Amino acid sequence: MEFFKRYASDKVGLFFGVLLLIFYFVALTAQWITPADPFETSLSEGLQPPSAAHWLGTDQFGRDTLSRVILATQVTAKITTVALLFSLLLGVPIGMIVGYRGGLADAVVMRITDMMLIFPTIMLAIVIVVVVGPSESGVVVALGLSQLPNFIRIARSAALSVRRELYVEAAVSAGAGWPDILLRHVLHNISGPVIVKATLALPGFVLGASSLSYLGLGVQPPTPEWGQMLHEAKDFLTSAPYLIVGPAIALSIFVLSANMVGDSLNESLDPKLKGRRLKRILPRLNRKKAMS
Amino acid sequence: MGFVSPDPRDNLPATWEGQKTGLAMARMILNRFIFMIFAGLLLLTFLFCLFHAIPGDPARLIAGDSAPENLVQSIRVAYGLDQPLMTQYTTYMAKVMTGDFGLSNFSRQPVLQIVGPRLLNTAKLAAWSMLLAMTVSLILGCLSATYWNHPVDRGITAFSLVGICTPIFVTGILAIYLFGVHLRWLPIGGMTTWKHYIMPVATLGLAQAAGFTRMVRACMIDALGRDFVTTARSKGVPEHVIVFKHALRNALLPIITLFGLGLGHTLGGAAVAESIFNWPGLGRLMVDSILTRDLPLTQGCIFFFAMLFILVNLIVDLLYRWADPRMANE
Repeated sequence: MEFFKRYASDKVGLFFGVLLLIFYFVALTAQWITPADPFETSLSEGLQPPSAAHWLGTDQFGRDTLSRVILATQVTAKITTVALLFSLLLGVPIGMIVGYRGGLADAVVMRITDMMLIFPTIMLAIVIVVVVGPSESGVVVALGLSQLPNFIRIARSAALSVRRELYVEAAVSAGAGWPDILLRHVLHNISGPVIVKATLALPGFVLGASSLSYLGLGVQPPTPEWGQMLHEAKDFLTSAPYLIVGPAIALSIFVLSANMVGDSLNESLDPKLKGRRLKRILPRLNRKKAMS
Repeated sequence: MGFVSPDPRDNLPATWEGQKTGLAMARMILNRFIFMIFAGLLLLTFLFCLFHAIPGDPARLIAGDSAPENLVQSIRVAYGLDQPLMTQYTTYMAKVMTGDFGLSNFSRQPVLQIVGPRLLNTAKLAAWSMLLAMTVSLILGCLSATYWNHPVDRGITAFSLVGICTPIFVTGILAIYLFGVHLRWLPIGGMTTWKHYIMPVATLGLAQAAGFTRMVRACMIDALGRDFVTTARSKGVPEHVIVFKHALRNALLPIITLFGLGLGHTLGGAAVAESIFNWPGLGRLMVDSILTRDLPLTQGCIFFFAMLFILVNLIVDLLYRWADPRMANE
C-alpha cells in the first residue's frame, strides 16, 4: 500500500503511467477503435496526404495509416508482453535455483550468461532469428532468449541475498526441502524487485521488436508494426513524408513512457535511490543544490 | 593529486610495484587469449549446430527451389552434406582453421573476401561514432553536473532522455528526410566521401551520447560530492580545476567501463544504422545474408562480429586495469 502511495506522489511517474495505460487500452481494443480496416487496400487512394477521412494519410496500397498504427500498437504490446513473460518464466526459476543452490550449476550458468552478455541484445536476437525464422513468434523467442541472461542475473542476485536470511534458516531447520523454500520464501521475497526490473526491461523489448521488424527480420507484412511501417515509409520520403509521423511518434512515446514508469517504480520500491538520483532521468525540483 | 585518499602502497618501492602489476597484467592477458581461443572454438561449434538446426535442406537451398533432384544430389555430395554429422563437423572446423569459410551461395566468392572489407567499414563507422559519443557526452555530462538543477542541466537531461527513447531508425529517417530529401545538403546513402559519414556517424554517435551523458552526469555528481572536492574548494582551488582535474579524474574509472560497454552497443547499433544509410558494413551484410538465406555468409558474419565483441571486451578490460592499478592485484 505504501508502495502505491509513494508511486502516486510522483507526478511525472503518474503522468507516464497513465500514458502507458492508454497505450495498453488502445492495444486491447484495437479491433474496435480503428477508423478503417487496416488491411483493406485501394490502389486508387494510395499515398494520400492527411485528410479528414484519413488523419495520418494512406500508404502506398491505400491503407489507412492511423488504423495501421493502432493495430501495430496491439502487435507490439502482444509481442513484448509475451517475450517478457517468456524471459521471466524461464529466467527467474533458473536464476533462483542456481542462486540458492550454488555449486557447479551456478558456475556453469553464470559463465554462460557472462558469454551472452558480451554481445549486444540486438545481435543475439538477430542470430536467434536466423534459426527460428523471421516471424511474429520468431521475434518473441529471439527477444525472450536474448534478454534471458539479464533476468537470470537479477533473480540469482536476489536469491543470493535472501539465502542467508533468518526465515530461510528457520525453514531449513524445520525440515523444509529446497523446492519448498524457493517457492514459499525466496520467490515471495524477490518478486517485488524482479517485477520492477522487468518493467525496466520493457523499453528494451519494444526497441528490440521494432528494430528487428525494421530490418525485415521481425513482423512480416501485411501485419503492421511500427518499425516495419517506418521501413516501408522510408521508400516514400520524397513523395509522402507524412507516413513516418504516426509510427515514429507512437514508438518514441511508448518507449519514453515505459522508461519513465520503470524508473518511477524502481524509485518507489527503493526510496534510497531518490537521494542518490543515479537512476532518475528528470531532475527533481525540490532538491537542494549541493554545489553552491 | 594530493586529495585522493592515501594508498598504503604509495610507500612501496616503485620497481616492485611495477613488476607485480606487470606480471599480473601478463597473466591476465594470457588468460584472456586462452579464453578467446576457447570462445572462438565454442562459437564455431555453436554455428555448426545452428545451421544444422535450421529447417530445410541446405543443398536444396544452394541449388534453388526449381532445381532438379539430381542437381541437388550432386551438390549434396560436392559439399559433403551426405557425410555423417561428425565428419562434416571435423571437415568444417579444419577448413575454418585455414581461413576457409566456404563460398557465398549467391556471389560465389569466398566468404572471407566479402567479409574483410565490410568489417573495416563497420569499424570505421563505429570508431567515428564512438569518438563523437565520447566527446559529446563528456562535455555535456560535465556541464550538466556542474550546473546541477540549473536550466542547463535540465536541458541536457531532456536531450539525453529524448535520445534514449528514440530508436536510431527514427532519428535516422528524420535526418534523411531533413538533410537529404528536404534541404538536399547531404547524401542519403553510401560511404564514398566525407559527406557520407556525417549522417550515419551523427545519428549513431548522438544516440550513444544520450545514454553516456546520463551516466557521465551521475558519475560526476557523485565525484563532486566527495570530501576531496570540499577540501579543494576550501583551499581556494579554482572551480574549473576542481571539475576537470579532481572530479573528472576520479569519475573517469566508471566512465571508462561505461564507454567500453558502450562500444559493444555501438557495434550492435551499427547493424541498424548501416541498413538505414546503405552503409556497406558487416551489419547490413549480415542482415542481407539472412534475408537471402545465404548461410555460409551469415555464418562468417556472425563469427567475425562475435570475435570483434570478444576482442573489444578484452581491450576494455585491459584499459580498465591500466586506469585503475588496484584491479590488477585482484
